[in-house]
Amino acid sequence: MTLSHCIILASLLLCIGVYGLLTRRQAVAMLLSVELMANSANILFASFGHFHGGASGQVFVLFALALTVAEVAVGLALIMLLYRRYGDTVLDLASEARQ
Amino acid sequence: MSPIFLGLLATLAPAAAALLLLIAFPLRHRGAPAAWICILGSLTSLGAAGKLLVDRLGGAPDARWVEPWILERGVPMAEMGVLIDGVSLPMLIVVCLVALCVQVFSIAYMHDEPPRAFGRYFTLHALFLFSMNVVVVAPNLLQLFFGWELVGLTSYLLIGFYFAKPSAARAAVKAFWMTKLADMGFLFGLLVLFVSTGGFEWTSHPSTAVATAVTALLFVAVVGKSAQFPLHIWLPDAMEGPTPVSALLHAATMVAAGVYLVVRADPLFALAPATRDVMLWIGAGTAVFAAGLAMVQNDLKKVLAFSTCSQLGYMIAALGAGSAFAGFFHLGTHAFFKALLFLAAGSVIHAVHSNELSQMGGLRKKLPLTTTAFVIGALSLAGIPGFAGFFSKDLVLASLEGRAHWVPWTMLMGAAFLTAFYMGRVVVKAFWGQVSEKSAHAHEGGLAITGPLVVLAIPALLSGLLGGWLASQVSVPYSLHLGLTPIVASSMGLAGVAAAVFVFGTGRAAPFAATLEKLDRLSLVDRSWAFAYQVGLQAFPALFGWIDRYLVDGLMNFSGWSAIEAGASARKLQTGKIRDYALMVVAGVIALALIGVLR
Repeated sequence: MTLSHCIILASLLLCIGVYGLLTRRQAVAMLLSVELMANSANILFASFGHFHGGASGQVFVLFALALTVAEVAVGLALIMLLYRRYGDTVLDLASEARQ
Repeated sequence: MSPIFLGLLATLAPAAAALLLLIAFPLRHRGAPAAWICILGSLTSLGAAGKLLVDRLGGAPDARWVEPWILERGVPMAEMGVLIDGVSLPMLIVVCLVALCVQVFSIAYMHDEPPRAFGRYFTLHALFLFSMNVVVVAPNLLQLFFGWELVGLTSYLLIGFYFAKPSAARAAVKAFWMTKLADMGFLFGLLVLFVSTGGFEWTSHPSTAVATAVTALLFVAVVGKSAQFPLHIWLPDAMEGPTPVSALLHAATMVAAGVYLVVRADPLFALAPATRDVMLWIGAGTAVFAAGLAMVQNDLKKVLAFSTCSQLGYMIAALGAGSAFAGFFHLGTHAFFKALLFLAAGSVIHAVHSNELSQMGGLRKKLPLTTTAFVIGALSLAGIPGFAGFFSKDLVLASLEGRAHWVPWTMLMGAAFLTAFYMGRVVVKAFWGQVSEKSAHAHEGGLAITGPLVVLAIPALLSGLLGGWLASQVSVPYSLHLGLTPIVASSMGLAGVAAAVFVFGTGRAAPFAATLEKLDRLSLVDRSWAFAYQVGLQAFPALFGWIDRYLVDGLMNFSGWSAIEAGASARKLQTGKIRDYALMVVAGVIALALIGVLR
């Protein structure tokens, strides 16, 4: 397993995340896609750290994961509110700001 | 006291009176104090003018004082000041003297007005005298123009003095419109003069083309102010104003301002023979035309109004023939005898309470002094030898004879006959004949009515003898000679009077009266102006309305519309859908990445 393999994996994961973000209508699925993209970055952190020969990259990923969890908590809370308001979690419903 | 101080005093004393009356409105509203303040101002003016005259008789030279005005990089663009010379001083005395007489007369004539109107009347009179004196002492054309516009304003206000009466209000607006229309000529003339010579002096020497343009434009203003054909129509209507106002503004002084302007700007007019030719024909034409219409008027004041048009035509014709002095001399004598005629007419109207000639008659017994005054004025106007009008009219006609303008000369001779005829008609109809119902109770007014009549009758009789002195003041040769002109002119005058006495004394119908009356009723000039006025009032606003609606508003609407449209198309980008924004972000990232890779 070389660094290239890791980068390709991270890139694939990012592309899947982007594709999901752009195609999914459900807010939960979009949140999941965002998480995928975040995790592709985390994989890069960890692999660069590993091949560089130190633990700092992996430590940084732990911090990033903690932050991501917090972000997910906020995101899920927003989705809850969305559901309460519209009876659904399709994000396109929440477009009143346009008017 | 320096002549400049006296000149300023003569000009500004009425201004001070007017200002005081404007500010201290309790004085104005009380009525009587306003009259005394106004008359005090006029007395001061007349006193200053008299002192100037005494000094001049003692050998004082011309005096000119100017203050720079509107500095442009330290160089004055224009000047204001006072000029006292052989033209302005006699005019100043005429104006102040007639104004004073008219104001004194007005005290009695306007006595029945409510105090506020009485006060307003005298405030306007003070303002008028100031404005007129600004014209008279003006050292250049710009200041003359300011005075010119001011007298136009006071004329408007005084014609419309009885503004509650629709006909008076209409007459005031008409006078204002007609004279303003003509005054545009003055303004453009000044602009042309300034652009080509850099100043407003009548002593400048522009090229013939420029002089012709300037004088032609100035003459348009003269035609308006001095009521010449075809802009004369405002003057008969201006008789809606109080009679003393007609005497002062619309007979003696203001309408003569046009003649005064030409006399002042004579050096410029001398450079423009073409303009002078036009003046000669318009003056002669107006003299005959207006005299013809004066023959059939039934309103005493309208006879005098048309007579004023006609006499101003004489002056303009003399100026057109190149004799500024003849025109100026006739201006002076005319001011006296026409003011006298108007004040006498005012005395009659005051006694009879009517303007209609048909309601007068036999007033000779009831109003002996007024009759004497009116007859003196009428004989002077008719040019009967010995009276003031004879000398000046003779000079006007002689100036035409001297330059062999035989057709205008004949026209003016005809007008002289008509003048004598229509004045004879008025005298016979109003003062002789059967005593009418209305004139049965007429009686002479008080001292304020008769005093001014006596004072004005003296110069109306004698001012013709001052021709030699006046000529010496402006360095013009003057001689009385017994030639063709005086003989024909005086026989015309006598024949006119005789014909009038023959026709009206025996109660016959006047020859041509029916035709002239028809012409008067048709009032072709009036109607054409009314038509032009309406077309102008409707066509120009329509044009400007179109420009305003479709060009000015259109520009505004277009800019508003384009902002709205631009916003609407920009809003399409903002779908409000998260995924669209995400797509844009991704597209942006890819674009940035591509730029980074390809570079």
